[in-house]
Amino acid sequence: MKKKASLKKNLVRLLPLLSLGLVLSFVLPWLSVNVQLSPESSSVKTGIGLLTSKESVLNVKALALCAVAAFLTAVLILFKLDKKLVLLHALTLIASVIVSVAFVLTAKQKVDASGLLAEKFMVSNLGIGLWAFQIIAILALFVALSAMHEPVEYIVLTIMASVWLLPIIWLVLTAFRQEPGAYTPYLLPKNYTVDNFSRLFTETQQFNFPRWYMNTLVVAVITCVLTTCMVLMIAFTFSRLRFPSRRTFMNIGLILGMFPGFMSMIAVYHILKAIGLAKSLVSLVLVYTGGGVLNYFIAKGFFDTIPKSLDEAATLDGANKNTIFWKIILPSSKPIVVYTAITAFIAPWVDFIFVSVIMKDDYQNYTVALGLFKMLEREHIYEYFTRFCAGAVLVAIPITLLFIKIQKFYVAGVVGGAVKG
Amino acid sequence: MSKFLPIVDEKGFKINAFKETALIFKRGDGATKLSFLLMGFGCIKRKQYIKGLLYLFMQIIFIAYMVGFAWQYLSNIGTLGTESMKREWSEARQIYVRTPGDNSMLILLFSVMSILLIIAFVLIWRASVRSCYLAQCYEKNGIKQPAFKQEIKALLDKRFHMTMLAIPGLMVMAFTVLPIIFMILIAFTNFDANHQPPGKLFTWVGLKNFTDVFWKDPLISSTFGKILVWTLVWAVFATITNYFFGMILAIMINKKGVRLKKMWRTIFVVTIAVPQFVSLMLMSQILHDLGPLNLMLQKWGFIDRTIPFLTDATYARITVILVNIWVGIPYTMLITSGILMNIPADLYESASIDGATPARMFFSITLPDMLFVTTPYLITTFVGNINNFNVIYLLTKGGPLVTDYYQAGKTDLLVTWLYKLTVDKQNYSLASTIGIFVFIVCASLSLIVYNMSGSAKREEEFQ
Repeated sequence: MKKKASLKKNLVRLLPLLSLGLVLSFVLPWLSVNVQLSPESSSVKTGIGLLTSKESVLNVKALALCAVAAFLTAVLILFKLDKKLVLLHALTLIASVIVSVAFVLTAKQKVDASGLLAEKFMVSNLGIGLWAFQIIAILALFVALSAMHEPVEYIVLTIMASVWLLPIIWLVLTAFRQEPGAYTPYLLPKNYTVDNFSRLFTETQQFNFPRWYMNTLVVAVITCVLTTCMVLMIAFTFSRLRFPSRRTFMNIGLILGMFPGFMSMIAVYHILKAIGLAKSLVSLVLVYTGGGVLNYFIAKGFFDTIPKSLDEAATLDGANKNTIFWKIILPSSKPIVVYTAITAFIAPWVDFIFVSVIMKDDYQNYTVALGLFKMLEREHIYEYFTRFCAGAVLVAIPITLLFIKIQKFYVAGVVGGAVKG
Repeated sequence: MSKFLPIVDEKGFKINAFKETALIFKRGDGATKLSFLLMGFGCIKRKQYIKGLLYLFMQIIFIAYMVGFAWQYLSNIGTLGTESMKREWSEARQIYVRTPGDNSMLILLFSVMSILLIIAFVLIWRASVRSCYLAQCYEKNGIKQPAFKQEIKALLDKRFHMTMLAIPGLMVMAFTVLPIIFMILIAFTNFDANHQPPGKLFTWVGLKNFTDVFWKDPLISSTFGKILVWTLVWAVFATITNYFFGMILAIMINKKGVRLKKMWRTIFVVTIAVPQFVSLMLMSQILHDLGPLNLMLQKWGFIDRTIPFLTDATYARITVILVNIWVGIPYTMLITSGILMNIPADLYESASIDGATPARMFFSITLPDMLFVTTPYLITTFVGNINNFNVIYLLTKGGPLVTDYYQAGKTDLLVTWLYKLTVDKQNYSLASTIGIFVFIVCASLSLIVYNMSGSAKREEEFQ
């Protein structure tokens, strides 16, 4: 633990050198085009030029401030080795990175607005000085973090987390956007409203969202009950009972699961039509249950881990297999029952292929997934895009909560149960 | 069951079902022999009335079904129907009158169903013969015939597997086995948009679809070849990128000293918990030519014209792989996290004392261990990617469409092509042929790995 508290001295000595580079980058050209950026001076290219020119459209004062602050804190560290000082230095570096990124992203707007450049400004017109500034700042941040024995992974993780979260955040924001249309010439909505949500439930002539939501809920609940029962029955049979051709049945189950699902969907549709159930919610329940029944491997893998001696003891006490299933296996398998139930419950919410084949144009019997899919078709997308986002949020919330609950089993299932067979 | 059944040969080995049935016929007395024709007769004669009558009842139902329903379809299976629907001008009524003809699709569907039922009936028939023989043996040896109640009770104990598997088995039969057999047979017919029942008939064409796909038809076979190559390229890239980047992400989050592990993990889990169709449709909007990404890149001055992320063949192919990384990495992260935590920490400690670099530790400790545990998962993912309908269909719909492909686009996988052929073009026979091919590839891959993994063999000792 003591080692952890101290600083890596050889790395700390690098810091002032790096931040000197940060300051020196202002000597390099910051623009690669020879343009006149302020009315009075002829042409400014270097960072110092931009800094000193009074009416420059590209303001680099904040950047210079960050660089100087970074340099000063780094020099201070040389005199007093203190973790807090290094932390302060790291903060100035983070500020440098953020400000320089903001500088890049706003450069075009500022230059184009000033009208001082004949053609349109591009990021590629920015010069080597700026890029050097950014690279050095990130490098110094790496060094500072490892000098403090802090994982440098934070930098990568932060970048990745934002890449993964930004689309989701955009979805949520768009769900509250007041302006209609699919694409707006700006990123963040100008005005916010909850109309998108309320109109989903009130304007139901064409797209009956509340009806779809109820359809999906009903189908999901019934499917969930039926599938869970059957999956547990199959899993118990294959895990606990020994009978002729057991392995054959299991292999058949394995092979059947490998056929591409929608290869058979046309046949399924005609079977349903033959028994008079096409375009009905009952048929959806049957199809999802039939499809879910074969996913018994995870539950079987779980049952396999319950000690067989429990069964044997019960058999000695005169219990038959039926009693063993209800009294011994089921009570000790709550987690896997929850897992099976939730996966079966989620299936109808996320499938749109089977629904589209079975329901065709029967809008009333759609599920939310297919309904939302329809909203994005070319003729509807302008009017319905924001409502699509609102609907997607409404679907995503319950599914996300359920998924977070079962993620532990998801892992066990994929690495354990699925392989065990 | 008892010491009488199953019948064993002189050396005490079980004999196969056919030989057994023949032996039963040889050893059976008159009543048992008659039971071969009249199901359950032997049981009724030996006072097992309920059981015997049940068998008899089943036989009557089956015969009624065969005569009344199945025969009209089964008799036509060789031709799949001869009379197509006619439209004739009726002078008397001054309208076109439709006379319904044979419906090839129903003939095939109900024939397959009837054949499955016949197989089921044969199994029941065999069971009835066996139980009649058993009753005969009991009588001969002076053992009391089991009461019907006792046999029902056995369904909850010795024969509990039958009770448990009955309903799920029926579901699987009706919604998985029957459709799959039907569609396999469709691959040997000419069922397409020009041969659509009920208006028109389709018929058997042998291996024509297979030869078309593989070499005969230049357009279809070249499309098939190109799509197959792209499918494999896609599956390899999608699997490997997801696997490695996901593992690296997991290693970063689980690294000693990284704080807020739970927060990082939740951030990534949230993105996969959002239903895939939502996040993929969202991505297709973001990457649209007019979408926010193009918009912002232009606004910031990185590009001066839109990047055709999803509408240019090369861009689209790269984009789908990148988006797949976005969709898939959190899954791998979630799965590999658990495995990583199980690698003993002292391995790393002793390695770092020996002066191993982090890269060296990754390649010498982490990777071998991971590969050992996750090989089956890797293959499942590979097969899953060959069949990855959602990512392709929701992002590009298989596009951009090109004319030198038969009804397909540059990013189409075999499965999305199959989907388009079925749903948009109604070319069922070609779609089924492709489906069979996909199945053979996936099934052989999975079975090889499943048997190699050894977990199948270890099952018993695991308990």
